Amino acid sequence: MNDDRIDELLSEGARDYNQPGSVPREEMWARIEASRRARAVRAETRTRKTIWVWPSVGMAAAAILAVGITIGRGIERAAPSAAAPVAANQTRLQPAPDSAQTPSTQRPTTTVASRDSLINELREQTRNTDRRAHELAATRDLASGGEPAAETNLAYHLVVLQHLAGSEAMITAFRTAAHRGEMDAQLASWSRELLSTTRMLEASAATRDPTMKRLLEDLDLVMAQIVQYATHGTNNSEELDLIEQSITTRGVMGKLRGTVSARNAAAGT
Amino acid sequence: MLLARINVVTEAANAQPCPDPHPRLLDRQLVSRCLAQDPVAERALYDAHVDRLYRLMYRMTGDADLAADFTQESFIRAFERLDQFRGDSSLATWLHTIAVSVALNGMRKVKRIQARTETIDDLPSLTTEAFRFTGDLKARLHAAIDALSEKLRPVFVMHDVEGYTHEEIAGSLGIPIGTSKARLFDARAKLRVALAPFAGDRAV
Repeated sequence: MNDDRIDELLSEGARDYNQPGSVPREEMWARIEASRRARAVRAETRTRKTIWVWPSVGMAAAAILAVGITIGRGIERAAPSAAAPVAANQTRLQPAPDSAQTPSTQRPTTTVASRDSLINELREQTRNTDRRAHELAATRDLASGGEPAAETNLAYHLVVLQHLAGSEAMITAFRTAAHRGEMDAQLASWSRELLSTTRMLEASAATRDPTMKRLLEDLDLVMAQIVQYATHGTNNSEELDLIEQSITTRGVMGKLRGTVSARNAAAGT
Repeated sequence: MLLARINVVTEAANAQPCPDPHPRLLDRQLVSRCLAQDPVAERALYDAHVDRLYRLMYRMTGDADLAADFTQESFIRAFERLDQFRGDSSLATWLHTIAVSVALNGMRKVKRIQARTETIDDLPSLTTEAFRFTGDLKARLHAAIDALSEKLRPVFVMHDVEGYTHEEIAGSLGIPIGTSKARLFDARAKLRVALAPFAGDRAV
């Protein structure tokens, strides 16, 4: 036995120990940024007060809920191939009799509307929901605390459901537009509005439900990526892959559809 | 102008050894920009250190996913705690302290999970006859390195595999330089024992 020989073998063999490949710089950076954003939101959420519900908004939210149910169909008509899963899901959702009377469901013009006008219409509807949701938060912040009434809770759930339905529509529209290279400022600002509402809801009573909390956090992450992509408008396929990866690995679309569907039924709408 | 300055910082941090006479000053400049939430500076800090950290994480884990996870977590923690960086050590050493801690804690969790799914009998042992006569030196050495204790393995990997100095290792692990040297000595001794039968065959 020869100590020098052993040291030589040791030195040679050690160099190959767990030999690393190329460094996935961009992938790791994207995840670091996304994680830091999500953590920042959570930290902000912890410092905020829980918000109160504004009962009168509930009725309006119930009516607007129908918009989300028809959104998938509208997107599907504008882009049959990309929106097929959404349409399939939406067929399972039955709009409430009241909500079926809303203007959006009465207008068959969406079937022939151009992509731009369709997105514009959807955006306007989700913007109304978002505005009400923000009003809710602002009002609740001013309240003195205490447990909300059952009616108030229902109203609040409906606002959240409406937002989720709108978010699903936006993500579907984004996927369609991105894969066609049709990203524009309208989608960018739409996604920003929805991200803002998502973050507001993350600081609300919605997060008392752990499932909803996780869904909103996932939605926040995906929305933030979409905002960045849509705003820069680079049509970078790697960034798009990362967004798709986030949507897929977190099962965002499935969770959105499942939540809207289940809670829609539970709320009796 | 800013980009040019950031590049200087990045290059300085990448260089081994650092050619700049005032690396700590550059560290502080970079850190202060990051604390001001300058995204260019944050990216520069990341670019300056990510390769070396990822390599170390990979060497310690042997798994690309774990290496990426630990590297990411290290940077996330570093950005969160950047206000605690006082410049007593270099930024690289400070980052390595975080990274090694993340990796060791992460590996403990991984081992606990593995322990639930594997029995001891399933794991290769240096003393089993089957393993002794595999005839594959590298496989034997690598298994022996894997089997080193939690105190010895990081020192051996950092020094003999990745080429860190004892000063860097001591700074990263929070131990005296003498302890780093002693642990390396112990690690080599254990590996020599594991390689002895193989060296005997070849040394003729």
